[in-house]
Amino acid sequence: MLQKKICMLGSFAVGKTSLVRRFVESIYSDVYQTTVGVKIDKKNVKLGDKEVSLVLWDIYGEDDYQKMRWTYLRGASGYLLVADGTRKATLEKAFTLEQKVREVVGAIPFVFVINKSDLIRDWELDSAIESQMAVQGWNILRSSAKTGEGVEESFSLLAQKMLG
Amino acid sequence: MGSAPRHSRDPLEFRPKMAETPPTRPAPEPDDQPCEPEAQAYLELRQLILAPEQEALERLHQRVDDPASRTEDVGSVVAEAIQLRRSQGGDEALSVALAPTIETALRESVRKDPGTLADALFPVMGPAIRRSILETLRSFLESFNQVLDQSLSVKGLKWRLEALRTGRSFTEVALLHSLVFRVEQVFLIHKKTGLPIGHAVASAVAMQDPSLVSGMLSAIQDFVRDSFHTSQGQGINRMNVGDLDVWVEEGPYAILACVIRGIAPRDLRDRMAEVLENVHREYSAQLDLFDGETAPFVKVGGELSRCLELRFKEDAKKKSFGFVYATAALLFLLVAVWVGWRAVQYARWDRLVNNLREQPGFVITSFGRDRGHFVVRGMRDPLAADPAQFIKASDVNPADGEFHWGGYYALDDGIVEQRAKSTLSPPPTVTLAVKSGLLFVSGAASANWVKDIQSRAWQVPGIRAVELSPELNPGRLAFNQAKTEIESAVVKFPVASAALSPGEALALRNLAATIQSLLQAADTLRQSANVEVLGHTDSTGAEAVNLGLSQRRADRVASELGQAGVPERILRARGVGTTNPLRAEDNEENRQFNRSVTFRISALAP
Repeated sequence: MLQKKICMLGSFAVGKTSLVRRFVESIYSDVYQTTVGVKIDKKNVKLGDKEVSLVLWDIYGEDDYQKMRWTYLRGASGYLLVADGTRKATLEKAFTLEQKVREVVGAIPFVFVINKSDLIRDWELDSAIESQMAVQGWNILRSSAKTGEGVEESFSLLAQKMLG
Repeated sequence: MGSAPRHSRDPLEFRPKMAETPPTRPAPEPDDQPCEPEAQAYLELRQLILAPEQEALERLHQRVDDPASRTEDVGSVVAEAIQLRRSQGGDEALSVALAPTIETALRESVRKDPGTLADALFPVMGPAIRRSILETLRSFLESFNQVLDQSLSVKGLKWRLEALRTGRSFTEVALLHSLVFRVEQVFLIHKKTGLPIGHAVASAVAMQDPSLVSGMLSAIQDFVRDSFHTSQGQGINRMNVGDLDVWVEEGPYAILACVIRGIAPRDLRDRMAEVLENVHREYSAQLDLFDGETAPFVKVGGELSRCLELRFKEDAKKKSFGFVYATAALLFLLVAVWVGWRAVQYARWDRLVNNLREQPGFVITSFGRDRGHFVVRGMRDPLAADPAQFIKASDVNPADGEFHWGGYYALDDGIVEQRAKSTLSPPPTVTLAVKSGLLFVSGAASANWVKDIQSRAWQVPGIRAVELSPELNPGRLAFNQAKTEIESAVVKFPVASAALSPGEALALRNLAATIQSLLQAADTLRQSANVEVLGHTDSTGAEAVNLGLSQRRADRVASELGQAGVPERILRARGVGTTNPLRAEDNEENRQFNRSVTFRISALAP
């Protein structure tokens, strides 16, 4: 059995937890996130003939009240970097987060997910930024926890990157 | 080409001489002598060309051959050499090579002076020992607290009973029960990723997904470590929720967590440490390279199961039976105590009742217990002793019982005697005694009283006969009374006369009747009696005359008595003259008394 620890990173309220909820059936309540700062879920993903068990560490996004606990990243094989398309600040935050991850655990595979694609008309994101990221070699996906768009794909892509 | 070996061999050829001679210019060689000028030239040439090299060679030889300088050379580079060796990765071989030497050195050091090594180790040993002591104390306190917690509860009471039943000490029993536990799940968690490497679960335990539990456990560890800034290896080693305990043991690569229901002993911690060590030893490489693939650890479950094995056995069935036995024993004990107490109580009352039964004037008709209350029914003579004094003297509690007395006349001698005394009120000279309903009367009493008592004694309940002592015999009393009466009689005569006055004659007839009754009484006593009739005179006149006169007076009275019916055979008349005067003749009245006749009775046995 192959297991991989992956983390959900991103600013506060970008929709990390909603994405996870869309992806798995949780056993833990969301309360853990505000208390311990992390909530853990699991999802088995099939990649070809190989099955991977993804253990998702949904890490509480940094806000004014709580700092992100970087220790939770330790041992992660990859992460989903989540931003909110309707808030430009979250995209900028994503850059700093990616940088910080590289400092803390090194360059590990990640997939950049811009969430809330159902509200695409309200997006503050211009395509220039997206292309800038693409140039850097980032995998970018648009997702919507509301419609389910891009959710499975994001996790699968991350799994592929980790195993590849 | 040909000169090269020559050159290289040269120093070797010179070597023995170098060692024997000072490092100055060597003396001409013996083997150089035959070819003189040529050889000399060659030698000089060689010296000219090779002198500096030869000197350098000589110095080298000296350094190599001299142990002192060789040591100096090696000494200056030994540390760098070891460093170099280590950096080249020859670590293990070096350790292997050095280990025996170091071991011997350590042994030698300890043998020479243990103090040196002890001093060196002191800073390390102190904390290690302290930590060990702390751990020991902590585990002791843990179990001690548990025992204390339980000692006052219902469970504690049960344990006390069990201790009583089995004869073990309470502490032992309490500890044994305190240590009832079950390891439900064992997690082996990769420390860095928080992913489960292995998982073992006891039968019939509802389990969560090991991945999630492992992740959350390590997240909590991280959280605590992060929040309180403790160093690595100092995370939570125990979590407790109700009777569920999570014990965590941390190793370099992996964490072992046991989910325990109940209270586990310290031994489990040791077992966990042992298992974790074994895992680290067997899988050190795999643990180091762990990338989420659990395949290399398939067999780790067996090792983890060792944590599930440890369990203080408690047979629930046996225990419940034990409790039943204990309860039964307690009930039996209580009943026994109750019965025993009742028996003791009963015995006390029984003793009291028997004591009363033996007392005169008491009749116990029934004795029993009515709803725990003793009831004594009986009869009591009014003259019997007060029962209260017997109750007081006994060991019964008067409040535990009651007495119902009816009145009656007791026939006990003592009581009858008392009753006779109070009813008959005898004079102080009389003694009354009762034996088997027979009233014995003794002492001195009048004939009348004796007669009276003989009729009245029957009125006293319990007296069926009266027995008078001999002196109270009616015949005797009558005899004595008549005798006294007769002997006190005085028949007076005129001066120098033996004639009876009419009054005296009458008195004599009365006296005759008394003598008759005396004779009758003597008859009842089966005795005979004589009456001596004594004639007296006063002291005037001649004695011879007086004697005759006194004889005549006696005879006169005797004949008068004979005439009155007194048998003459019992009468003895005798004149005693003045020899036996009644009174001193100091006046006429007294003199008159001496002119008289008196009587004396003598009783004769048949």
